[in-house]
Amino acid sequence: MTTTPERPVPEPGGPTAEPGGPAASESALELAGLRRTFGDKVAVDDIDLTVPRGSFFGLVGPNGAGKTTALSMATGLLRPSGGKALVHDIDVWQDPVAAKRILGVLPDGLALPERLTGGELLTYWGRFRGMPAGVVADRIAELMRILELEEAEELGTLVGEYSTGMRKKIGLATALLHTPRLLVLDEPYEAVDPVSARVLTAILRRFTAAGGTIIISSHVMSLVESLCDRVAIIAAGSVLADGTLDEVRAGRSLEDRFVELVGATELGEEDLAWIGG
Amino acid sequence: MDRWLISLKLTMLRHSTPGMRVAGSVIGGALVIVTWAATLNAGSDAARHSVLTLGLLLWGVGTAIGPVLMSGAGTLRPSYFTLLPFGRLALGRGLLVSVYVSIAAGVVLAALLVTGAHAVRLSPVTLVVAIPGAVLTWVLLVALSRLVYGLLGAAMGSRAGVEIASVQFGLMFAGMFAGWIPVQVAIERTPDFLATGITDAVVTRALDLSPTSWTVLAVERAARGDWGGALLLLGGLAVLAAAVIAVTIPLLVPSTEPARRRRGRRRSARLVAGGGLLPATPTGAVVAKEVRQWSRDAWRMIETQSGVWTGVLIGAFALASEELDAVAAFAGLIITFMVGISACTVYGQDGSAVWLDVVGQDEGSVRADVRGRQWGVVLTVLPKILLVSAVFVLLSQAWWAVPILLAAIPALLGAATGAALIVAAVGVSPGVDPRQRVGPNDAVGNISFHVWISMLLMQVAVLPTGGMLLLHLFAPAAWTAPALVVVGIANGVGAAWALGLVTIGYLDKRLPDLFSRIRYGQVFRAGKPRTGWAGALDWFESSTLKGEQQAKELKQKQREAQRAKVKV
Repeated sequence: MTTTPERPVPEPGGPTAEPGGPAASESALELAGLRRTFGDKVAVDDIDLTVPRGSFFGLVGPNGAGKTTALSMATGLLRPSGGKALVHDIDVWQDPVAAKRILGVLPDGLALPERLTGGELLTYWGRFRGMPAGVVADRIAELMRILELEEAEELGTLVGEYSTGMRKKIGLATALLHTPRLLVLDEPYEAVDPVSARVLTAILRRFTAAGGTIIISSHVMSLVESLCDRVAIIAAGSVLADGTLDEVRAGRSLEDRFVELVGATELGEEDLAWIGG
Repeated sequence: MDRWLISLKLTMLRHSTPGMRVAGSVIGGALVIVTWAATLNAGSDAARHSVLTLGLLLWGVGTAIGPVLMSGAGTLRPSYFTLLPFGRLALGRGLLVSVYVSIAAGVVLAALLVTGAHAVRLSPVTLVVAIPGAVLTWVLLVALSRLVYGLLGAAMGSRAGVEIASVQFGLMFAGMFAGWIPVQVAIERTPDFLATGITDAVVTRALDLSPTSWTVLAVERAARGDWGGALLLLGGLAVLAAAVIAVTIPLLVPSTEPARRRRGRRRSARLVAGGGLLPATPTGAVVAKEVRQWSRDAWRMIETQSGVWTGVLIGAFALASEELDAVAAFAGLIITFMVGISACTVYGQDGSAVWLDVVGQDEGSVRADVRGRQWGVVLTVLPKILLVSAVFVLLSQAWWAVPILLAAIPALLGAATGAALIVAAVGVSPGVDPRQRVGPNDAVGNISFHVWISMLLMQVAVLPTGGMLLLHLFAPAAWTAPALVVVGIANGVGAAWALGLVTIGYLDKRLPDLFSRIRYGQVFRAGKPRTGWAGALDWFESSTLKGEQQAKELKQKQREAQRAKVKV
């Protein structure tokens, strides 16, 4: 577990006071025996995982590994079949309102009111979080400018007309607006152009530098390697490896280690022999 | 929070096209006027009682199912708020409160206040019962509408949701084509009803049991001096409203339970890749793909089912009329006609398939695609057309219509599959990206021009059958009925073949343009304008393209005007 300095508690609209006092743990997120079954299929199988505060945590795994399901349960979107999810020691399912105050989430398939402009969406989200109007207006102007959504706003483009990349950006803006302490981002770089990706990386680095914690899920190993200081590899609903990037890599590239743990379909000599005529 | 939820809803409404809202307000306003006029013109207190209890029950049913059939742009979906730190109870309450602030809710209240007219006529002092009673009924009905919406909301996106949306469109089309039939029936029977009310005691008692009647009963009790009884009825109404609210709020909050997934039988790779009854040819493959698309894609299902419901509802309207009940026998033919309209967007909905067609184009692929799509439409809708026809012929007992149907259905279906395909190809209108779809009925696009062309083509294509039908009707002989059937079948096959052939000829050369229009909204092509039939196709192509570009520009202008207004 790594230790980082605490960030100051944000002002109105931000998180609740840190519970627990001196006895509080150092984890930003703790999953204990977390389980989800869909009928007879076990999607997440009694996962135990600790994400230290201030870390940039990468959750990687093949398609259908249970990453999104686990993150959905950790952020109050999907009720677990069993186990616990604690965000800064707050039980997400015992006190979801307190947990959501300190969480910023960019989920997979984010549902947004389609008939609002990005600026309107953020304004309402600020109001709903009880933030002062002036603070909301300043932050929106800054977020829209940095995320290059200003022009769309001037044209009155509605969220429903945004491209996939723009939806990611506005989703990220809703996650950042209230100064969360833990950001959970599901495939944040998907469909984002390289220039915007650089901006996104700079934002995320600034967030962790200020003491915040980030969890991203991704399929892109090189991305996780370049961004994250801690990694967990998840497959078939179980955690196969978890620790610092170097511990998990064990002297190899993350991709090699991932393939070694998860397994890969080998292409035999006779397979797809017809390719290329 | 409630205030901001209402404000959010109003902002979303401002960004939607006002057409449906204006139409809804006009229709709602007219129905309020009808309700008040009928109440004020009732011939006696007993007749007014009947008018009110029946009228308010209809308002109750309309309010309860209205949002399901006409869910508005301002609907706040619980899923928007999953990540916000709201307590479930507070969010549910806020979402419910926001429903009361709407034009529709205002219209319902204006109608329910009609009990006040009854109170004034009986004893003006009973207004103190009528007004709170109307408000309590309003609270109950609006909450009930959210309860029904919440229960059915889970079905949206599923087969049930598709059927609900299809009934909505079916009602709209049936109302446009044959809405005058029930109106006429109602007008014919209104004078008697207003004079005497409902004379059947059982019906009157049943109507009195409905909570929508309780305010009327409370007013009548108060007028008789039974204030205790009146208060009891209002109390009952309040308890019922509270109960419905208590049940509704949990349904309005975001679900944290896993979504139910479609469970089908497991399919082996071998079954997907081959097998089945259809021929193992390129056309057979397209037919198999199309039949699956028509039964799985929510948008396509809505289009076919809207046609089916239009036919069924027009048939039902006709059956309600004493003079026109024989028209009901043609319900299946109406469905056939609707097929030509519903399938005329088929290429626009299918961007990925068109892309595959373009990259895999060879000498026979376009023909296979067009013919396969035609067969796909026939195999999807023909069983439904035949079933509905059989049922309505039986109900209307119009046996004389059978040979006409046996000729007209194949003729029109053949013409419809040809017309739809040619319009879908030449006037392609890009559909909604499936990933952007939020409901089963969120289709966009301005396709009225396509619909007109498709209808015109169908009419021209069935002229031979029309001629033979006239002969059968005006100079009937033993041979005209079988001849009519033969001509109808031959006409259908011929029309499908000929119109399909034109589509094949067009797409053979223009397949990349079709894709270009779907992907980029324009055609990158230079060349001289063509003349003759090719010129007509070019004209249709450029007209539909121009129409879409103009619609886009208009939308942008409206948006800029809106923003300018906000800035001012």
